[in-house]
Amino acid sequence: MAIQETLNTGLNIQPEAEADAVLQRRKYIGMNVLRTEDPAFLTGRGKYTDDVHLTGMLHAAFLRSAQPHARIVSIDKTRALALDGVIDVITGEDLEDTVGPFSTTVHRPEVETVTRAILNSKVALYVGQPLAIVVAESRYLAEDGVDALDVEYEVLEPVMDAEKALEEGSPLLYPEMGTNNFAHIEFQRGDVDECFERADHVFKKRFHAGRFMAAPLEARGVIADWDASGELTVWSSSQVPNLVRTYTAGPLGIAESKMRVISEGVGGGFGMKAHIFDEEVLIPAASQRVGAPVKWIEDRYENLAASLHSKEVIVYLEMAVQDDGTFLAFKGHYIGVGGAWPAHPWTSLIDPLPAASLLPSFYDIEAVGWSIDAPMTNRCPLGAYRGVGWTPGHSARETMIDDIARELGIDPLEIRLKNMIPDGEEFVTVTGMKYDGGSYSASMLKVKEMIDYDGLRQKQAELRKEGRYIGIGWSPWVEPCAWGSEVAKANGFAAEFFDAASVTIEPDGSVTVTTGCHNHGQAHYTTLAQVTADTLGVPFESIRVIENDSATAVYGTGTYASRTAVVAGGAIMRAGSEVRDKIIRLAAHAMEVSPEDIDLAEGKASVKGVPDKVMTMQEIGMLAYYGGPNRIPDTEPTLTATRSYDPPETYSNGTIVAIVEVDIETGKVHLQHIAACEDCGTMLNPMVIDGQMHGAIAQGIGGGMYEDLAYDASGQFLASSLMDYLYPSTTEVPNIEIAHIETPSTVTEGGIKGMGESGTIASPVACLNAIADAISPFGDIKIMKSPIGPNDVREMLRAAAAGSNGSAPATQPADVETRLSQQAEGA
Amino acid sequence: MKPAPFKYAKAETVAEATALLDQHADDVKVLAGGQSLIPLMNMRLARPEVLIDITGIDELSGIEVNGALTIGATTRHVEVLRSNEVRAFAPIIAAAMRHVGHVGVRTRGTFGGSVAHADPASEIPAIVIALDGELTVAGPSSERTVAAADYFVSTFTTDMEENEILTAVRFPYPLDRARWSFHEVARRHGDFALVGVAAVAEVDDAGVCTRARIALSGVSDVPVRATAAEELVVGSTIGEVAAEAGRLAERQIDPGSDFHASAEYRKEVARALVTRALNDMATKGEAR
Ligand SMILES: Cc1cc2nc3c(=O)[nH]c(=O)nc-3n(C[C@H](O)[C@H](O)[C@H](O)COP(=O)(O)OP(=O)(O)OC[C@H]3O[C@@H](n4cnc5c(N)ncnc54)[C@H](O)[C@@H]3O)c2cc1C
Repeated sequence: MAIQETLNTGLNIQPEAEADAVLQRRKYIGMNVLRTEDPAFLTGRGKYTDDVHLTGMLHAAFLRSAQPHARIVSIDKTRALALDGVIDVITGEDLEDTVGPFSTTVHRPEVETVTRAILNSKVALYVGQPLAIVVAESRYLAEDGVDALDVEYEVLEPVMDAEKALEEGSPLLYPEMGTNNFAHIEFQRGDVDECFERADHVFKKRFHAGRFMAAPLEARGVIADWDASGELTVWSSSQVPNLVRTYTAGPLGIAESKMRVISEGVGGGFGMKAHIFDEEVLIPAASQRVGAPVKWIEDRYENLAASLHSKEVIVYLEMAVQDDGTFLAFKGHYIGVGGAWPAHPWTSLIDPLPAASLLPSFYDIEAVGWSIDAPMTNRCPLGAYRGVGWTPGHSARETMIDDIARELGIDPLEIRLKNMIPDGEEFVTVTGMKYDGGSYSASMLKVKEMIDYDGLRQKQAELRKEGRYIGIGWSPWVEPCAWGSEVAKANGFAAEFFDAASVTIEPDGSVTVTTGCHNHGQAHYTTLAQVTADTLGVPFESIRVIENDSATAVYGTGTYASRTAVVAGGAIMRAGSEVRDKIIRLAAHAMEVSPEDIDLAEGKASVKGVPDKVMTMQEIGMLAYYGGPNRIPDTEPTLTATRSYDPPETYSNGTIVAIVEVDIETGKVHLQHIAACEDCGTMLNPMVIDGQMHGAIAQGIGGGMYEDLAYDASGQFLASSLMDYLYPSTTEVPNIEIAHIETPSTVTEGGIKGMGESGTIASPVACLNAIADAISPFGDIKIMKSPIGPNDVREMLRAAAAGSNGSAPATQPADVETRLSQQAEGA
Repeated sequence: MKPAPFKYAKAETVAEATALLDQHADDVKVLAGGQSLIPLMNMRLARPEVLIDITGIDELSGIEVNGALTIGATTRHVEVLRSNEVRAFAPIIAAAMRHVGHVGVRTRGTFGGSVAHADPASEIPAIVIALDGELTVAGPSSERTVAAADYFVSTFTTDMEENEILTAVRFPYPLDRARWSFHEVARRHGDFALVGVAAVAEVDDAGVCTRARIALSGVSDVPVRATAAEELVVGSTIGEVAAEAGRLAERQIDPGSDFHASAEYRKEVARALVTRALNDMATKGEAR
């Protein structure tokens, strides 16, 4: 049976009109079904890693490097081991025979491979690097043990300037590699040179997107119980439990079949927890060594200094633009400011590569050229965080478009609409990305109406006369979603991605669904049950969705990159249709009609036109499993199917506008309002989508205005507590108004496009553009970095008053080719 | 983030507390609300061997108005914020208190703890300076009173011995007839100020300022008075000299830089906030 027949694609979200359908238990997709997850969380009964207590469990704490770059001369364990309650002190040498290395790369010829010991007690490459593990009877005692370790460092010169790290003669993090550059990649489509020659204007910009991070409320945590029979159970606060198993089994030397990874409650993942961390190998190794379960709960310092940082990219952009504002071509050089090693498995390319790949966004340009470099520096490794490199790439491009609009005297909304690809149709961009239809212009126009843009511009002009400065910042986005093989390839990552789901009707007619994705805030147990209910024609309440445990759910790669609604949703639709077919055939056989005559809805199979000929799902379940001769001859006695899905490329889109008022004298920015319109194709649950938008936008506000994982020139880490790493709180996040447009995907199962990250991609630059817009009367204002705090605003105003442009770099950026050829000569 | 081992004692009287402090004088700390000390201990930046908890000493807690306003050292921030007596006597205290951390911090943190901790970016020390507060300090054998100007020595350092505790903060002058203004710039609401100003002034019937105090936080290792600006304001009509007073304040300070704000920023903002505070007092009249 075709899916379309049973699945309302959610084109017309009209809750009132469709309320009947819900009451009749015929339709759940597109409805604001309340989250089944909430009762546990609201009553304080969520189960996080730290809530797990095992008999005989010991506690680990890490000695972490105080130096950004040093040779470790010695670590003297004597005093620590003498402490009462300290069981073991483990350094790299102790694990040489039992724990293999991590070997990290992206499979393309331009990329290096970094192979490294997972506990390196000989060389420190960043402040926070694990150097030793102390296992003790309590966390307090373990930290006393760490305190009692005597470390002798031989300090080496730190590599902190990412651009200098690429130069000949720079000190090296890995002398045996002969370079600090993890990858150099170039890409070109169309006649870039011709466009730049033909253009009326060539604009150039250097933008330094700052380092920020997920900083989840629940930091990381790992418990390992390597038991006497050789089986290993790991609890880890991860969004990819199956990948943790696959990637750590090798270095630990254990078969995946003997290993179980549980990530039940996860208090915020945001992509950070979609990595495989050293601690996820080291805590199991410690458990094996001491012969007892070992628990490590990351503290806030560790999370800030030594989990994963994200988003830092230095971007050089050039745009070829006509007098009337038409964009001809874009060029970019993206320098990802990597850390001590490539995060496993995504690597530091997760920022610069997507940033570069999405350079044209939805602008209809003729040619594009980009290159990226990924220098390693003595910082915390760089990895994925909600929106990955699309955030810095988007911030650089969209601040520049505002610069150009101001320079050419064109409204920032108009210049974007003028260059935008058409709405609604499939479109192959100049880079070859295949967009599956969107509301690129319509979403901007929708927000224009929401904020009364014209009225607001008038108000802005009036307020300026009173010495008050409000600003409006536009940020329309397109987001590559549903990380599968195709979208990964389009973003430069040539690897295979998929996910799987099993759908089972139990003997009593209830439904169990498992997927390889991971539920940590996105309400999969609700939204995927909605998908299942509509696919099967059963009541929502009869469905239980299981994820988060490698032993109880099917294998899959987890939840990240706005993928689950599409990938797991699609896999459920596929598996569900198979099961639905089986149900219908069974019911038809039992009621002696042909399958076409069966109507399956509300958990009942009825014969069309004969209302009293009905079988309940329970009757069908019992028949399937225990019906013996009543079953269809030669069929197997189960009602289950497992299918996987690897979707084609799909892209959501939308627009965010920020409205700010800037206090000129203090540089303080009051973010007054955010309005957004998003389009993620078929909506599963608008309320959940709003929640994702709110959270992602709040995190983006942090990246735009507050959060800065700063290091000083000597490599010391400055944002080591939440007194200095400032995430926006309820007082900094304004009201967020969200509208929806639905342009179902032309290519995915059910027309779902995926969402969740766009807020963090687009809201930083909405804030930045609003700030620039507010203070633009004071001179040539260009935003050259993020985040922008009050100190930066004052600096821009001072520079503007002095005649040079706001926060300009010391020299005008050389054009991209010159920079590349200089670099090639250097190398 | 677990503290190094320490011993803990909860005192019931001031005499007991000071005796215990005296006994362990080598490495002992008073514990009040713990909102500054405990984070430092958890990060092992502070490692006292003994903590003397003073929050069980009844006589240290409470607000009293008797010509002067006296706030007991262990009175929680939230009680000060909500107190009608405080608001009537010196509304600027309540206004400043709103900027101290968040509800949780204010529920445990103490007024005296904030003063004794002597963070130069903190609101309360600036208020103590602006209002000519007097600090009552008890030692094992005697009690003494220290003027605000002598109390703050440098960052986290006061004119108290290891065996002394701050018992109360006394504000001698009621502000019910004075003009006042409080402003600060912090990165986020509830953060320590990058720069703050607490200003009070008395104005005669002719509109001429007769007495002024302008205290700045975040611009030095202690809260400081902008004395040159004060001198200009006294004898003048406040509004007429506000801009110039701001410039004088800027010239008088020599702040440091950190990664949230440069010295230059702090100077500019000090000027802006002093001017703003004076303009407030000029336009908004008595007891704003
Ligand atoms: C998240 C957060 C945000 C904050 N934001 C702000 C802010 O914006 N502005 C601000 O001003 N403060 C802020 N604080 C600090 C807060 O105001 C504290 O309450 C205050 O600094 C210290 O008071 P306490 O009672 O907690 O003292 P404790 O932490 O118990 O002690 C602090 C220090 O003072 C000493 N001490 C305390 N009481 C006495 C006494 N009676 N006699 C002698 N010594 C004493 C202690 O020995 C210790 O050295 C914040 C704190 C947190 C955790």
